[in-house]
Amino acid sequence: MAIISTSHLSKRYANGTAALNGVSLALEAGQFTVILGPSGSGKSTLLRLFNGLETPTEGSVSINGTVLQRRNLRHVRREVGMVFQHFNLVGRLNVMTNVLIGRLAYRSWLGSMLHLFREEDFRIAHEALARVGLAEKAWVRADQLSGGQQQRVGIARALAQRPRVILADEPVASLDPVTSTEVLGLLKQICREDGIAVVANLHQPDYTHQYADRVIGLNSGRVIFDDAPGQLTDNRLQTIYHRDSQPQETRHAELALAHA
Amino acid sequence: MLNLRWPTPDGRPPKALWVTALGVLLLLLVSAPLVEFNLWTLVTKADDTVLFVGRMFHQQPEWEYIPQFALKMLETLEIALLATVLATLISLPLGFLAARNATPYPWVGQIVRDVAAFLRALPELVWALVFVSAIGLGPFPGVLAITVVSVGFMARFFADALEVIPAGPVEGVAAHGAGWLQVRSFAMFPQALPDFIGTLLYVLDHNVRAATVLGIVGAGGIGFDLVNAIRYFEFERLIIIILGIYLAVTLIDRFSSYVRGQVIHGGVQRHGN
Amino acid sequence: MATERLVNLPALPPKPRNLIPLWASLLLGLCWLVVWHLDISFQTLLWGWQDILEYFSRYTSPDFRDAPKYLWLMLETMAMGLWGTVLAFIIAFLLAPYAARNLSPNPWVYNLTRELLNFMRAMPDILLALILVSSMGLGPLPGALALGIHTAGFLGKFFAESLERVEHGRYEALDAVGAGFSQKILYAGWPSILREMTGYTLYILDRNIRTGAVLGLVGAGGIGIALYDTLRMFNYNQAAALLIIMLGTIIVLDRLSGLIRSKLH
Ligand SMILES: Nc1ncnc2c1ncn2[C@@H]1O[C@H](COP(=O)(O)OP(=O)(O)OP(=O)(O)O)[C@@H](O)[C@H]1O
Ligand SMILES: [Mg+2]
Repeated sequence: MAIISTSHLSKRYANGTAALNGVSLALEAGQFTVILGPSGSGKSTLLRLFNGLETPTEGSVSINGTVLQRRNLRHVRREVGMVFQHFNLVGRLNVMTNVLIGRLAYRSWLGSMLHLFREEDFRIAHEALARVGLAEKAWVRADQLSGGQQQRVGIARALAQRPRVILADEPVASLDPVTSTEVLGLLKQICREDGIAVVANLHQPDYTHQYADRVIGLNSGRVIFDDAPGQLTDNRLQTIYHRDSQPQETRHAELALAHA
Repeated sequence: MLNLRWPTPDGRPPKALWVTALGVLLLLLVSAPLVEFNLWTLVTKADDTVLFVGRMFHQQPEWEYIPQFALKMLETLEIALLATVLATLISLPLGFLAARNATPYPWVGQIVRDVAAFLRALPELVWALVFVSAIGLGPFPGVLAITVVSVGFMARFFADALEVIPAGPVEGVAAHGAGWLQVRSFAMFPQALPDFIGTLLYVLDHNVRAATVLGIVGAGGIGFDLVNAIRYFEFERLIIIILGIYLAVTLIDRFSSYVRGQVIHGGVQRHGN
Repeated sequence: MATERLVNLPALPPKPRNLIPLWASLLLGLCWLVVWHLDISFQTLLWGWQDILEYFSRYTSPDFRDAPKYLWLMLETMAMGLWGTVLAFIIAFLLAPYAARNLSPNPWVYNLTRELLNFMRAMPDILLALILVSSMGLGPLPGALALGIHTAGFLGKFFAESLERVEHGRYEALDAVGAGFSQKILYAGWPSILREMTGYTLYILDRNIRTGAVLGLVGAGGIGIALYDTLRMFNYNQAAALLIIMLGTIIVLDRLSGLIRSKLH
């Protein structure tokens, strides 16, 4: 059974922007899926819908067979970890606490108001930190780490919640090439070893070739490519990144010429 | 011939400047009779004031008064401390209710903000006057009065601090399935903490100063002795009281600006490991 | 698989000591001591809530018969606040450059001015008003002076700190053309902080009008004395009217100055 499935998913924002148009997908466990597409094609919107950070205008999202709804949001989010472009760690808290945040969905509000956790949670967090190779930084404040380290903490936070899916919205867009391969390699390894489905938005076709098991191309909120990375020829890349509207400059030139 | 002009296109002073200056001057002229302004009295009475202050230094301070003074000063500081702690406890949840990005319902936020504005509109002494006539003389009405005004300030500043925190980490925590309170205590609270502490210290500072005069209406602290010393020209006590207040306020001021500096600048290193 | 990994988990570095519980319990203990020492019983507040409600219900029928007189007194309070603020502004304007570390001609002057401003700040305005009233006689003028002296300490400090935050290069550019102390302040200092200055001054005006309302308690004019008298005579209806007038004026002024300040930004 597919771990994430959507049917006729559409999203129109309050200001009228139609970000997604009838997307139907089924993503498998243990697969590394990369979503490609030009800026504004709806990649982030799609991932945010998977996690319930946005609600669909039409259609629905199911995680492991459960349809995402307002009521079960917290419950479903346990299964879905998320990694962000700008890490979104709480900079003033230490690394350990940031990883423990991944356990919050399992715990009641009373203990967490006082920032108290169970021994078991500490073990899980410790394990996640060791997995990303940052155990020795456990008590350092998160905002003192380098970008690559912060992204690894972000991955540890997602791991700590024992998810079935990890969503990653441009996880390497703020990182240098060496760190980027480190982070993507880590995600790939997690995908392989734990059978977790990883869905990542990327802007780099070469990383896509290197890491993806499956590539989905989005343009103007529609799926226009869905295949193995081997099928991603230059030609098809062109169609993914194709723009409908004329570039701004030419229109300006036309306007200027009209007055000449 | 000397030809002076201002460095503006038309050579006249900037409009914003002279309009403001003229407006203020006009207001001062109109309101002069209201404050009974009179240069002559000011000049002649200046003498008396200098004389009055001079007399403080001509007398031996009344050393035997010091123990009583110390006790009253302690009471003053206690009133300020207790009121600040109480106000912080009350204001924290109110701040979350009032902040646009943390409130469960916007209309609740608006109500909390309006109530806070009401609480801080009247000075401590007015509230003290009301509380004294409600529950009698003593430090308790003083504590209540200062608490009320501090809640008015802190709830508002806490809310302001929350409204400017970055949204990224908040989303980061929410995305992992944290509940309503968990998002507030793990993502919002830590990010706003330095601002909270800054506000808290300013309020503490202010409250110590406010507590020194509560005694004027019988709400505890050194204020009662202060009024009496001035009313009955007890200069040998007045000098002790004034220097004592100066010392205490200055010490608290130094302490709080030290802590503020630690939190804002040195904090990163200190809390890191 | 998870347990397998657990066996050779790299050890965490030693956990740093968390001092927050210690400080929190110390503060709690201190507060308990304070409550005990001040002899405060919150129980009375709990038991007596009906009495308290009854007490506040006495304010529910305000008596506006003397409203013109009250309004006049409120006007007097506002005038006091205005004069006090202008005085404070003038003092602060003159002293602040000497209290800014990067502008002050020498450390002696710097420390002296700082301490002077600090002293003005430390003296509560009510105390100053008490002293000035007993040396100059009753009336709003000593009140305005007291407000002016006390808030000059604040304005001076804020202005000085703003002057310190101005980019070093701006002063250096003036130094480079051979400008003197006052020229540096007039052409690099004040223009750079004009906006902040206006904001602070408006804030102080607001504050002075608010505080001016209580100076009457010590005979320094304004609406405070009327409130004191009505409460002493248990005239709750008139006291309620006075409180409403004070509140209304203050809230309107608060909104107004907030509006002007937000226009400035
Ligand atoms: N909160 C929002 N409110 C209104 N419109 C939005 C919002 N978020 C995104 N959009 C719009 O929805 C469309 C899709 O945005 P989305 O962020 O999903 O694109 P993206 O593919 O992630 O782009 P990028 O590669 O630049 O991150 C865009 O036209 C964008 O302007
Ligand atoms: Mg995006």
